Amino acid sequence: MMRKKAALLARTTDSMKFFSKFLQAIHWPVGPRADFPALQQAFREQYKNFRSLLTANNNALELMAEMEQAADQGRPFGMTFVRTRCTALSVNVYKMIQRLRELSGGKYERLLPAFKEVSEQMEAILSKQPAVAEGPFILELAEIDRHAADQVGEKMANLGEIRNRAGCQVPDGFVITAAASQHFLGSEQLRNEINRRLTLCDPDNLEELYTTSAAIQQLIAEAVLPEDLDFEIHRHYQGMAAARNGELLVAMRSSALGEDSGNISFAGQYRTQLQVSEEFLSRTYKEILASKYKSQAIVYRMQRGFRSQDVIMCVGCLAMVDAVVSGVMYSRSPTDPRSSWVLITAVAGLASQVVDGRAATDVLRVARAAPHAIVARELRQPEGAARLTDEQAGELTRLAVRLEAHFGTPQDIEWSIEPRGRIIVLQSRPLGQTTTPEKLVGGEVMTGSATPFLLAGGVTASRGAAAGPAHLVNSSLDLLQFPKGAVLVVAHPLPEWATLMPRAVAVVSETGQVAAHLATVAREFRVPAIFGMAGATQKIMSGQLITVDATGCRVYDGRQDEILADSAPLPNLMEGSPVHRLLKEVLRLATPLHLTDPASLYFKPSSCTTFHDLTRFCHEKAVSEMFAFGAKHGFDAKSAKQLVGETPFQWWVINLDDGFSDDFVQKEKFVQIGQIVSVPMLAIWAGMTAIPWQGPPPVSLSGFGSILFHSTMNRELDPAVRSGLANRNYFMVSKNFCNLSVRLGYHFSLVEAHLDDLLTENYVSFQFKGGAADDNRRLLRVTLLRDILERYDFRVETVADALTARIEKKPASYLAERLKIIGHLLIHTRQIDMVMADPAMVEHYRNKILADLATIVPQAEHAHDEPDPHPAG
Amino acid sequence: MTNPIHILLVDDEIDFLENTAKRLTRRGYEVRSAENCAAALDIVASGWPQVIVLDVMLPDRDGIQCLREIKQQWPAMAVILLTGHASIQTGLRSLEYGANDYCLKPIEFDVLVEKIRIVFREAYGGEGKE
Repeated sequence: MMRKKAALLARTTDSMKFFSKFLQAIHWPVGPRADFPALQQAFREQYKNFRSLLTANNNALELMAEMEQAADQGRPFGMTFVRTRCTALSVNVYKMIQRLRELSGGKYERLLPAFKEVSEQMEAILSKQPAVAEGPFILELAEIDRHAADQVGEKMANLGEIRNRAGCQVPDGFVITAAASQHFLGSEQLRNEINRRLTLCDPDNLEELYTTSAAIQQLIAEAVLPEDLDFEIHRHYQGMAAARNGELLVAMRSSALGEDSGNISFAGQYRTQLQVSEEFLSRTYKEILASKYKSQAIVYRMQRGFRSQDVIMCVGCLAMVDAVVSGVMYSRSPTDPRSSWVLITAVAGLASQVVDGRAATDVLRVARAAPHAIVARELRQPEGAARLTDEQAGELTRLAVRLEAHFGTPQDIEWSIEPRGRIIVLQSRPLGQTTTPEKLVGGEVMTGSATPFLLAGGVTASRGAAAGPAHLVNSSLDLLQFPKGAVLVVAHPLPEWATLMPRAVAVVSETGQVAAHLATVAREFRVPAIFGMAGATQKIMSGQLITVDATGCRVYDGRQDEILADSAPLPNLMEGSPVHRLLKEVLRLATPLHLTDPASLYFKPSSCTTFHDLTRFCHEKAVSEMFAFGAKHGFDAKSAKQLVGETPFQWWVINLDDGFSDDFVQKEKFVQIGQIVSVPMLAIWAGMTAIPWQGPPPVSLSGFGSILFHSTMNRELDPAVRSGLANRNYFMVSKNFCNLSVRLGYHFSLVEAHLDDLLTENYVSFQFKGGAADDNRRLLRVTLLRDILERYDFRVETVADALTARIEKKPASYLAERLKIIGHLLIHTRQIDMVMADPAMVEHYRNKILADLATIVPQAEHAHDEPDPHPAG
Repeated sequence: MTNPIHILLVDDEIDFLENTAKRLTRRGYEVRSAENCAAALDIVASGWPQVIVLDVMLPDRDGIQCLREIKQQWPAMAVILLTGHASIQTGLRSLEYGANDYCLKPIEFDVLVEKIRIVFREAYGGEGKE
């Protein structure tokens, strides 16, 4: 029964067909015989195409792996990543099709429409633009509610909602819409130039980032505003001014489409300009549009998976408020959604000082429930500064509770109080929250409180702990030199330091509080941050290794592992973002593999619906075409030479090009191992022969074992004699290439390698399938192989009992070691599935194999510690 | 191969041109540069280059058009298209018109060198000396 099942399986494996073709090519020459030099020349031509196809195949597989990894791990990537990988993938798959068609003399034409279908779908996804905004260039605040977000941006839509639906006071004003912004920036030339510069910019290189950011902003500032738009802006301004006896200064505020939604805050990314008079309207408008390309905004979008085109900038023009006291309030604690108090941060004058993080502010906690008792009060403003009265604090709290009820979620509200006491709401947006409760003023030391600390105090702007060398930043120059993994130490938490959030492990600031924009961004990126920590820039030295316990508001000298042990893992910031969704969408056209069985009727060009299908098809057919070449041109049996020497089993070698030494005589039936000059074959061979095979394990009770044994050990088999058994093992070699098919009993393995001094082309791939045992044993065996191969840095994929392992783009010496491992595994794991039912035996074999490998390739063991052989240049 | 590969760089980005030429020369390659298609075609007409690294955006002509004109003169010439604006369409068109490779900027210098060596080998069979 087992034999029957195994035989059936073997018949259906893709390898079978492939192999029978090969044997056909060797044993039944059908075409006219060409003379040998001409044949070799033709073969070289074929081989050149074949190798080029293999290179493209490798590139394609590697690109797909890289894209899948990016989607799964959520490390930040931008549209440039997605676009370049998709383009490179399409180009490589197309190259495979071209090469296959050359190899086959123009066959497989139907691959072209299949390819076109996939690549066009992919292009359509990549070039999908957000819908073009329609409607007027200007909307009055009186005309807007939250449903207008796609015309005026979240911020202004909310302000309109607050005015028109929640019945609160907001400044008078109007919004320059998304349609206006697209009208201005929509010219293809400007858009292409901006995209070109962004594509070429490496956001990890801060200097390049700043240059690009400045250049793009200048490009926009210098562009001419369309006349009709310019006219409309002035007309609305003049209308507002007329109602105020001609005296009007406005605050111009960015309001981007897509910002402030969910957990994406874009806090403080874009520009707000206060006190703008009519003559500066147009210029300021352009500057705010340009602020979309501020360095921190570019980095932020990159980290959160937004494309530039996902963000369309609208600008609110709001009458300046004559503010006595202003501030920011949170309707709940930003770290505890169940808190029963409102947190108010207040300062004399304008609210911008609070979010800028510069000014010393008063902080109050006020009970949400009437009569709104002041729960805690910390007065940090200097003596004599305008402060909130208790009634005003109560009134603000009522307002916060009302807005939270109106929007159905905790709010982050910016407000001002006029001389006559009227409260004006400047902005209200969902409050970015973390879910773990924590104290905001003061804090609880995480652990290790006995350790003497360097500094204590301030507030937790973002909880957690981290360690790294301190880096004091005062200027843009310090900023450019900020190393990855350092602790950012600053005097004030200015919004522009947000550029450093992806690089910094923690932030310590002398001033500031939880409402600063930088605190919002730090919370979002889960970068632990302490604000308002007096003496930080004096006590902490640049370069000093420190541990920041933001939860406990303490800074320690050196690395404190006990404290760090409590810190939370980093979030996947990309999940669900527009770019992440887009990558997932293109991956559906790239990676699924439907063509698994070459023997199936569906293994044909029209069944290829993904790039993976196309690569699989091309690779399979290219291998067949290479074999068929022999048949077509009378490539006779003599071309396969039997390997002689002290070897287990029987091996044949076909010289594709320059795989044999010059002293080899073509007429010979046998080849000595000493006459082989193929670098990859010699490496495999070294692994196969390093430790002698001791025969099958001592459990081959059934007749099956003996058949297997006989089929492999029959030394009477002659390469020139047609054999009834397909159990032949072939190396196809050139100096740098080796393709080894091992077929023994019911196992099939394919090893392919190219080892050269060109890293780009180097690879080792290993496929294994089948086995004469029940499903469970075969799976166990694949698991064993996987475990061993992953230890040696192979990228392993398993589908049922089939295993594929790959390594690419490594130096030849490194790959040669991996081939030795495969060589050893091929010989020594071959019949292990017969003992796979016995866990103790499995363990015994696993340990034996690992111990043997350690002696064969001792230097390969710690491969992952090796320096990157291909550093960025 | 005893002679170094002759490489022609065609790009209107002067920084890229100068920097790449300098580094390739330091590696032992023979390098010439052209800032537009017309200048490139002059050098191609002399039969000097073996590998051309061609930017897709040129001031006087679209790089694909330039590729076609080069291939008309020298069908076997090894040409690598290079672009800062990745596009599947342009990539496929360049392969259809006989480009040996289509690469995306920014490209690591070592990767570019390998691409040059690969297309050289594909086109002429030899290895080309560094």
